[in-house]
Amino acid sequence: MQWAATCQMKNLFTQNRVISLSAVILLLILWEILSVTSGSDQILPGPDDTLVTLARMAGTTAFYHSLLVTLLRGLLGFALALAVALALGIPAGLNSGFEAAIRPVIVIFRSTPVISIILLALIWFQVNQVPVFIGFLTMFPILTTNISQGIRHTEPSFIQMARLYAVSDSRILREIYLPSILPWLVSGISTAVGFGWRSVIIGEVLSQPRYGIGALMQDAQSFLLVSEVIAWTLVAILIGSLFEWLIHRGEKRIIRWKP
Amino acid sequence: MEAMSLDLINISKSFGGRTILEGFSLSVRPGSVTCLFGPSGCGKTTLLNIMGGILVPDSGMVTGFPEEQKSYIFQETRILPWKTVLGNVLFPLVDRMPRQEALDHARAMIRMVGLEKEEKLYPGQLSGGMKQRVSIARAFAFPGTLILMDEAFQNLDKTLKYNILNSFMEIWKKDGRTVVFVTHDMEEALYMGQQIVLVDDRPLRISRILGEGDEKSREALIPKQL
Repeated sequence: MQWAATCQMKNLFTQNRVISLSAVILLLILWEILSVTSGSDQILPGPDDTLVTLARMAGTTAFYHSLLVTLLRGLLGFALALAVALALGIPAGLNSGFEAAIRPVIVIFRSTPVISIILLALIWFQVNQVPVFIGFLTMFPILTTNISQGIRHTEPSFIQMARLYAVSDSRILREIYLPSILPWLVSGISTAVGFGWRSVIIGEVLSQPRYGIGALMQDAQSFLLVSEVIAWTLVAILIGSLFEWLIHRGEKRIIRWKP
Repeated sequence: MEAMSLDLINISKSFGGRTILEGFSLSVRPGSVTCLFGPSGCGKTTLLNIMGGILVPDSGMVTGFPEEQKSYIFQETRILPWKTVLGNVLFPLVDRMPRQEALDHARAMIRMVGLEKEEKLYPGQLSGGMKQRVSIARAFAFPGTLILMDEAFQNLDKTLKYNILNSFMEIWKKDGRTVVFVTHDMEEALYMGQQIVLVDDRPLRISRILGEGDEKSREALIPKQL
C-alpha cells in the first residue's frame, strides 16, 4: 500500500515536472512570437538572439568577474543580515518586551521603498558597499521576523522537559530552540534571498560599481543593447533559481528527521 | 543516614476559580513506589506537577521534593523529533557524566526497553508505544532519586506494558529510587504501587490509602473497580 502510494507520488512528481517544462517552452514560444511581431531587434530580440549574445558575453572575463562580484556582494549582505537577525530575532522570540522594542524598526525597514534606501546609501557609502548594504537591509527584517516567530512557536513542553532535567540554558538554545526554528529559518532564507538578490542588482544598477551584473546591465541599457540586458536578466533568474534549489536541497539534508 | 520523607502539607491549588486541590496532604517514603489512583481528569497531574516543581501551590508546604533530582515520564512523550533514540536518552545525561559513561548508560536503558535496533532512528520513524519507551529509557537513565510518572504506560500494548513494568521493578529494586506515579489503570496500580493512594474528584482528596499490608483491601479493590 505504502509502496503504491510512493509510486503514485513519484508519478505525480514527474507529471508536474513535465507540466513545468511545458510552461517554460510555451513562454519561450510566446517570447519568440512577440519578438517577431515587434519587428526590431532593438526593441525585443528573440530567444535565439539572446542566447547568441549570452554565449558571446560568456566568452569575456568581465562576465565572470561581474558574476563573481555580484555573488560575493549578495553573500556578504546575506551573512550580515543573518548575523543581525539571529542577534535580534532570538531575544525577540524569547522576550515579548524586546520584541515590542524592535518591532517598529522592522516595520520601518520593511515598508521603506528600496529606492529611498539606495538614494541615501549612495550618499553615505562607497560605491562598492551600496549593493551590500541594500541587500542587507532587504533581508534582515524578513529573517528577524521568521527567527523570532520560530522561537515563539517552539514547543513549550520540550523546554519544560529540559528544565526538569536541569539541562543548561545554552544547550536548551542549541538543542531545542535552534532545531525547532530551522523550518522557519529556511522559509525566511528562501524569501529573503529572493528579495535580496534582486535588490543587490538594483543597488548595482544605481551605484554603478565597475563590475557587477547590475552595473553591466546599466551599461548595456545606455548603449541600447537590449539583448544584453535580457541576457543578464536570464543570468540573474538562473542564479536566483539556483539559490532556491540549493536552499531546498539544504533543507532536506539538514531537516532529515522529518519522516 | 535516613533520608527525609517527601511531604505535601495542606496543599491548595486552583485554576481560574476552579479548585483542584484543597488542603491536600500526603507523605511519601523515600525509596518507595507510590501510586495515585483515581479517575481521569481529577487533578492527579496537577498534584504530580506540584511535586515536580512545575507548578507552585497557592498555599501549603512541599518539603523534601524540591531537593530531589527528578526524572519525569510524561503522558505525551516529549521526546525531541530532531534527535535519534540514542540522542534523546543521552540528552539529560551529557552534562552529568563523562561521555563514554553516558553512552554506556543510555545504551543499557535502550536495551532494557527493547529498542537497541532502533537506536539510530528518529521519533518520526517510531510507533507511539516505541516513543513512550524512549521517554521511559530517558527517565531511567537519568541519575535522579525521584521518578514522577504521569500515565506513562497508557499507550503500550499489554505484553509490552508488563515487560516494561517488570524491568522497571527490577531496576527499582536495585537502585531504590522513590517513585510516584499517576494512573487510572487499576492493574498498573496493583502491580507496582506499594502505597496506593485512592483519590476522588475535585477538589482532589484522598479517599483511602492502601499499604503493602492491606492485601484484603487490595483484593477488595478489584471487584469494586471492575
